[in-house]
Amino acid sequence: MENVIELHDVSKSLKAFTIDHMDLQIKQGYVTGFIGANGAGKSTTMKLIMNLLQPDNGEVSVFGLDYANHEKEIKDRIGFVYDSNIFYESLNLKDISRIVAPAYKHWNQKQFKAYVNQFELPLNKPMKKFSKGMQMKASITIALSHDAELIVMDEPTAGLDPTSRRELLDIFQEVMTDGKRTILFSTHITSDLDRIADYIVLIDEGEILFDKPVYELQEQYAVVKGSTELLDADTEAYFIKIERSPNGFQALTKKVATVKEVFGKHVVIEEASLEEIMFYMKGADHPYD
Amino acid sequence: MQIIISNSSKEPIYEQILKQIQTAILSGELAEGDALPSIRQLAKDLKISVITTKRAYEELEKSGFIYSIVGKGSFVAEQNLDVIREKKLRVIEEQLSAVISNSKEIGLPYEELQELLKLLYEE
Amino acid sequence: MTNLIRRDLIIQKSQLYLFIPCILFFIFAGTHLPAFFIFVFAGFFIPINAYSYDEKAETNILLNSLPYTRTQIIASRYIGAIFYMAVSIGIAIVLFSLFNRAFTWADIGIGIGITLTLFAIAFPLFYLLKPGHIGTAIVIGFVLVVVLSQVTMTFLEEHLTSIVQFLSSASTPALYISSAGIIIMLYTASWLFSQMIYQRKAF
Repeated sequence: MENVIELHDVSKSLKAFTIDHMDLQIKQGYVTGFIGANGAGKSTTMKLIMNLLQPDNGEVSVFGLDYANHEKEIKDRIGFVYDSNIFYESLNLKDISRIVAPAYKHWNQKQFKAYVNQFELPLNKPMKKFSKGMQMKASITIALSHDAELIVMDEPTAGLDPTSRRELLDIFQEVMTDGKRTILFSTHITSDLDRIADYIVLIDEGEILFDKPVYELQEQYAVVKGSTELLDADTEAYFIKIERSPNGFQALTKKVATVKEVFGKHVVIEEASLEEIMFYMKGADHPYD
Repeated sequence: MQIIISNSSKEPIYEQILKQIQTAILSGELAEGDALPSIRQLAKDLKISVITTKRAYEELEKSGFIYSIVGKGSFVAEQNLDVIREKKLRVIEEQLSAVISNSKEIGLPYEELQELLKLLYEE
Repeated sequence: MTNLIRRDLIIQKSQLYLFIPCILFFIFAGTHLPAFFIFVFAGFFIPINAYSYDEKAETNILLNSLPYTRTQIIASRYIGAIFYMAVSIGIAIVLFSLFNRAFTWADIGIGIGITLTLFAIAFPLFYLLKPGHIGTAIVIGFVLVVVLSQVTMTFLEEHLTSIVQFLSSASTPALYISSAGIIIMLYTASWLFSQMIYQRKAF
């Protein structure tokens, strides 16, 4: 099985938001970073994957199974982390683990204890007294303590300080070493992904703009800077989106070779960071060129 | 073998890995049959993505530096050093030809070019 | 499923210590209250308190992300309610006996009947309402009950004789069996209805 998650022709209408005929495949054994601006549809897609929302149309399958017939089996193999605390606020971590543990076939108490120690989480303090970072670590501890094959995380690094973020990324990489697991995680902090993501999925206004391995992004996209005099109806077509200022223009291109050939030394061509790609692709006129 | 990755380098990360492993093999630091770290272990150690490491290994495999056995890992392949040397020599020849034609363009005499080369070589 | 039912105890651990003192308070201070009223209170306490934890959207996200189906989540609510009601009323019976307060089997029967009817009305209502409105719903519900009971009282005063005549004309077992039947039907209908609502919910 190559794809752990498959969305096929999925549509969902919500009050302020629509997903229209979405197709998405998440590959097994890799870390996929799910990026997009706030409100682009990341959380909605995650909820469709978790069956918290049911599609109006189309199919969602996880591990090659559908939710209608295999809901328990699927969720037994998923570890989840959401951007807000979903655990009972008045309970401590020990009681929460007593509620969560028996739900899973493969709960690993030793593993749970190991993460609790590593993150220095108190077992007897109610969750509401945890800082945002501690709550996130508690969620991650639970997500990683039942031998889940798929770990779905919605903004897991939000609210964490840089040290904790690095620590978490190390743990995610550790988790990935056996090659059997898959991580899907959404974020708008793209620097987290520079380090660990294998594939990047970009979503904007409920539409998947691309799904590519990281190195392809680095090869295919570039930021071009030059004088606005170089722009005319013909040359503008080389760019996905152009930002103009009195001092010149900056633009994202996917036609790096053409730009090099046409403009030569009159422009500066730089590798585009994930953040730049995300920024320029948002509301772009020709996102696919 | 130590691999050092620069995130600010213009060279893509997979190429940095590729070159450093190549150098280790050519210099004899890695001998035929030596096991390379697993793709996922290396990714974790270097704090980079799995797919980047995988790509470097794939390229190394394609150019015959290493071979992989499913379930066992990657190993240094038998190197035909004469062939590699031959290839490298040809590259050097090409590059020198370019140097010579550039020198002739600006009328740089042979002696000065030799002097320059000597200076750079000993640096 | 039993995990889900056991969860109800874990989440309200701290409030459980209040349970027995509350019943005792009613036994001693509520001497003017009919015994069945105390049974209703006892049976209602744990399931409704557990439910109040589940009204939050976050809790539903948690439960639905764990390996449970929506059908199981609703089933655990309805089965758990009966289970905890039975245990609570059992405890109340023990306390009644310990402190020599009189009660009859009819009190227990009426207590269970009213409690189940309340669950049958409350659960689907809560699943229908948006999270955060359950407190308001309880207040409105309470006012309604007071108003309705007054209406019922005046109604009873007017028609008491004919009702008594009707009731006494029916045999007691037949009366009990038919009320039990109605309550079971109501509870089942409520269960199915809640399941239907919950199945379509988005979190």
